[in-house]
Amino acid sequence: MIAKIGCEENSPAKGLRRFFNQVLETQGIDALFLPVRLKGSTSIMPALVTDPAQLEAAVPLSPAFSINSARMVSRLSYKASGRKTAVFLRPCEMRAFIELIKLKQGSRQELILIGMDCPKALTSSDYAAYMNQNPLDEDAYIQHVFPGPGENSKTMGREPLGSFDFSPACTTCDYPFPGNTMDMNIIVHGLDLSQGMMVESCTDRGGQILESLNLPEAGLPQGREEILMQIREANSSANQESAGEIAEKTDSILKLNAFFDRCINCYNCRNMCPVCYCKECVFNTDVFQHQPVQYHQWAEKKGSIKLPTDTIFYHLTRMAHMSHACVGCGQCSNACPSDIDVFRLFKSVANATQSAFEYVPGADENEAPPLSVFHEREFEDTVGIARE
Amino acid sequence: MEKFEPVIIAFVCNWCTYTAADLAGTSRLSYPDNVRLIRVMCTGMVDPQYVIKAFLEGADGVLVSGCHPGDCHYINGNYKARRRIKLLKEILPRFGIEKDRLRLTWIGASDGIEFAEVMTRLNDQIIEMGPSQARLSKAI
Repeated sequence: MIAKIGCEENSPAKGLRRFFNQVLETQGIDALFLPVRLKGSTSIMPALVTDPAQLEAAVPLSPAFSINSARMVSRLSYKASGRKTAVFLRPCEMRAFIELIKLKQGSRQELILIGMDCPKALTSSDYAAYMNQNPLDEDAYIQHVFPGPGENSKTMGREPLGSFDFSPACTTCDYPFPGNTMDMNIIVHGLDLSQGMMVESCTDRGGQILESLNLPEAGLPQGREEILMQIREANSSANQESAGEIAEKTDSILKLNAFFDRCINCYNCRNMCPVCYCKECVFNTDVFQHQPVQYHQWAEKKGSIKLPTDTIFYHLTRMAHMSHACVGCGQCSNACPSDIDVFRLFKSVANATQSAFEYVPGADENEAPPLSVFHEREFEDTVGIARE
Repeated sequence: MEKFEPVIIAFVCNWCTYTAADLAGTSRLSYPDNVRLIRVMCTGMVDPQYVIKAFLEGADGVLVSGCHPGDCHYINGNYKARRRIKLLKEILPRFGIEKDRLRLTWIGASDGIEFAEVMTRLNDQIIEMGPSQARLSKAI
């Protein structure tokens, strides 16, 4: 079922807030998880809201993306809470959460998953700088990134926001649209926003909730598919270009070393990665609590060693562990205090490993992660010592 | 010019390739001593991390060798190893560690002769490729 959300006081953003208000007041839904503006601040952070009055501060579609919420939703759902929560996530957050479900680190059991056409994001530092100069006008922002049909559609929402370009994660995103396994999806692309937005239900649960809201039925806008296709193509070519640039910058271990020359082994990229799934990372264990004599032996062997050690080792290991599941959200770069382009490197590796296993992370919760399964006959060309 | 003696790290499974190496030894077959064997219980326990570490520490080649498909002592460890090697062969060449420096073979417990032959051929191939540039770069 597809229904119209409509505007409130000519504002599509207010209309969307009213929709969430209705969802929260629906029988059987106890809480809503969505981005909320913090009191006395310009920061927008994910929040668990139970009081409809608090939804006044909700900013469902904004350029703020300071954390990938998949980890947070995992905290809310890895065990039963006895509460039903409707969860509103960006497509990359949703895909990461689906990956965590596969690893039994989250469950859909008590959740209503609500997806969205992605409103894109600025990097965290750009967002802070942008907010210093401009108060966020939600409607203007939505209009900017969802230009809708007609003449405007040519920009595909790619125009920079003031003096800021969107996060490279967003401009190279393969799937900035919601999947069809969500309970509900908020639809914005292809719409004339003066008429408000739309919501579609994809599951029975979503359908029941949507019916109970008594919203007017609607049909998908014409030209939506075309807009989605254009965005996908533009992002995909941006992705390839970016991967090519990065490959050139890192095509030897020496260059890779230079790429990470400012890395201070803070492991923020890992901490903020929604799909770095280990409960305890090996790099935090005793394995890497080297004996003092070990450092000396390394230094004696090589003449000198950089400290902290194990920088390249850490990044290569992380690629081997999580690149198949990388959803391309860009939070690794956001979290880097040394401004290393971690995201673009990991994304370029993820492109390769995901296509090697024909795996799309977050697409289908029933598809097992590629390194947890095998077939008897496969990849036979990797075996043997014949020259390639 | 000094002859290049490569360092080749071979992770061999206890049940097949290690036993084959043992058989090669008791049969008095020789193979290049550039190959350093590390016995593991199963190729399925070779974390990609071990391979990465070996290359960063200066190995010119890494071999993972275990039981033939269907023969794994733990039923399916070698199939898991195959996927991990596939993964590493996608990642490492992007950073200049050539695909051919990482090898996966199946050598059964009774294949002592094959073991010696494979080690010799592998050694020849790595000598032909020259030293790994990862060894020279001091990256860790």
